[in-house]
Amino acid sequence: MGKTIVICDDEDSLRELIRAILNGEYRFVEAADGHEGLDLIRRLKPDLVLADVMMPRLGGLELLAEVRRDPALGALPVVVVTAFAGQRAAAMEAGADGFLAKPFDPDELMATVEELLQTPR
Amino acid sequence: MRRRRPVNASSTPLLARISLASVLLALLVAAAFAILVVAIASLRKSTDTATRSKDVAVATLELEKLVLDLESGLSGFVLAKDPHFLAPLRSARAELPAATERVQSLVQDDAPQRQRVRQLAAQVDAYVSDYVLPLVAIARIDPAAARASVARSEGKRRLDQIRNGFKRVLAVEDARAADAVHSANRKSSRALEIGFAALGVSALLVLLFGAYLVRSIARPVREVAGAATRIASGDLAIRLEEEGPGEIRELEQAFNSMAESLGQNKRELEGQYERLRESERLRTELLSIFSHELRTPLASVLGYTSLLLRRKLDDATRRRYLEIVDGQSRRLAALVEEFLDAQRLEGGRFELNEELFDVGELLREQVQIHAAETDRHRIGLRLPATPLNVRGDSRRLAQVVGNLLGNAIKYSPEGGPIDVSARRLDGQLLIEVRDRGIGIASEHHSRIFTKFYRAEARASGIAGAGLGLAVARDIVEAHGGQIGFTSGEGAGSTFWVALPSLAEADAEPGETRAAS
Repeated sequence: MGKTIVICDDEDSLRELIRAILNGEYRFVEAADGHEGLDLIRRLKPDLVLADVMMPRLGGLELLAEVRRDPALGALPVVVVTAFAGQRAAAMEAGADGFLAKPFDPDELMATVEELLQTPR
Repeated sequence: MRRRRPVNASSTPLLARISLASVLLALLVAAAFAILVVAIASLRKSTDTATRSKDVAVATLELEKLVLDLESGLSGFVLAKDPHFLAPLRSARAELPAATERVQSLVQDDAPQRQRVRQLAAQVDAYVSDYVLPLVAIARIDPAAARASVARSEGKRRLDQIRNGFKRVLAVEDARAADAVHSANRKSSRALEIGFAALGVSALLVLLFGAYLVRSIARPVREVAGAATRIASGDLAIRLEEEGPGEIRELEQAFNSMAESLGQNKRELEGQYERLRESERLRTELLSIFSHELRTPLASVLGYTSLLLRRKLDDATRRRYLEIVDGQSRRLAALVEEFLDAQRLEGGRFELNEELFDVGELLREQVQIHAAETDRHRIGLRLPATPLNVRGDSRRLAQVVGNLLGNAIKYSPEGGPIDVSARRLDGQLLIEVRDRGIGIASEHHSRIFTKFYRAEARASGIAGAGLGLAVARDIVEAHGGQIGFTSGEGAGSTFWVALPSLAEADAEPGETRAAS
């Protein structure tokens, strides 16, 4: 069964890259900013979220905070993907389940996503 | 805040006041002293007068005694017929001229008294020559007749007359001596009164003068010293009341203007320090932004390259990935170029490759490039029918337009129309880029063109280094043009560039750069 992953990033090429790396095993839904992403998450109740930090309208960390505040979303796994290398601690503190610094290793992305999707919830 | 006032002309300089007061005080003391000297001199003169009167009296009494000796010698010889009585008579007669002379010399300066003494001397002479000597001669020849003559009291009458003369002279001198003593007493007590009064007044004035010095110099000087101590301890807000006389007021004014300029220097230094710190903060932030900006395209380049190397892909996908890698690499190159530009601008090294070209073509090209990058925005372009030729560096100006367009897209995240237009206006060429985005709050207007300044963009999650507009302004100004904007929060922004335009006759379309 295909699990649903929401990719939030304002860079089209990055979204496409993530999709290509994860190789079509999942159902992907894309959002170009945090607002759009949050709407999709609330509507679709996905299995995983990949969120960039610096996005228009609503940043990744704010998006994460909204998700954690929402009881309906429970322990939805969120991976923060950012070009700000120094934000691992902030992301973990905000409740991220994974952290990837751009540029990221495709294998690391795959490993992180697979591990989080296999963890019983 | 108090400004330095010119020195008050009506305020007599302190130096003049103190000099004047000192001179007045000295004059007063000198006058008191002079009065005392005069009083003492007059006292001495009175004493001299009294002494001389005593001398006159003594000499007069001696003269009178000689006359009495004459009379008693004469009476003795006539009545007792004893020649021994002639001895005192003779000696008295011998001393008579000298004694007379002495009295006369003593009253030399006193005309009425001299007159009296001369009269007295004449009476004495007459008594000796008309009475004493004839009676002695008669007594030698006819003692009885001489006795009868004495009995007729002729001698007594003359003698009484002479005695009265002496009495008058003595009385005059007595009165004069008493007068002199009285006057001396009066003068000396007067002199004492004046002396004490002058001393008292002088002492009082010295006290007042001292009090004045304390009030007008010592106290303000102490206040200035106190204020200087407070300034030394960092309180630059302190100011003195400018109320003292003359030089003291100048001192207070100079002190205040010193404090003023110290405060101003301090504020300037604090401002400079603040600006330096702000620029340092921006630089630190820039480093983080720069690395973020580099990492984003780098992630695509590395990611797609990795996919190209590791996976079997069909030709179409391979080509698509290669195009993405190419685009992101160009983006990296442009980013590096932008930073180098900023660096170059900072170093003042900036060269223009001037040529004649059509701004319309440049705009068409830029609109095309940016329209391809966004599907949320609709970019419209409005140009006049004729070419808009300018002389300038087309690559640099394309950078400016690209920057304005990029900003218009970046700062209208909800999408919407973006209008680009160019036209001639008042001998200038005016390019406008208008968006309906988030706009710029008025408190940021003054710093929008400052390097690394990004208003609230960082917080809103909008990427960028804050260099674009700073570089754009430098490029436009290097062309002799101007750049500006109108904007309001939530109302979108319109950025404009005004370039010096060529007259249409000068514009040779043949030189226009070929456009795609």
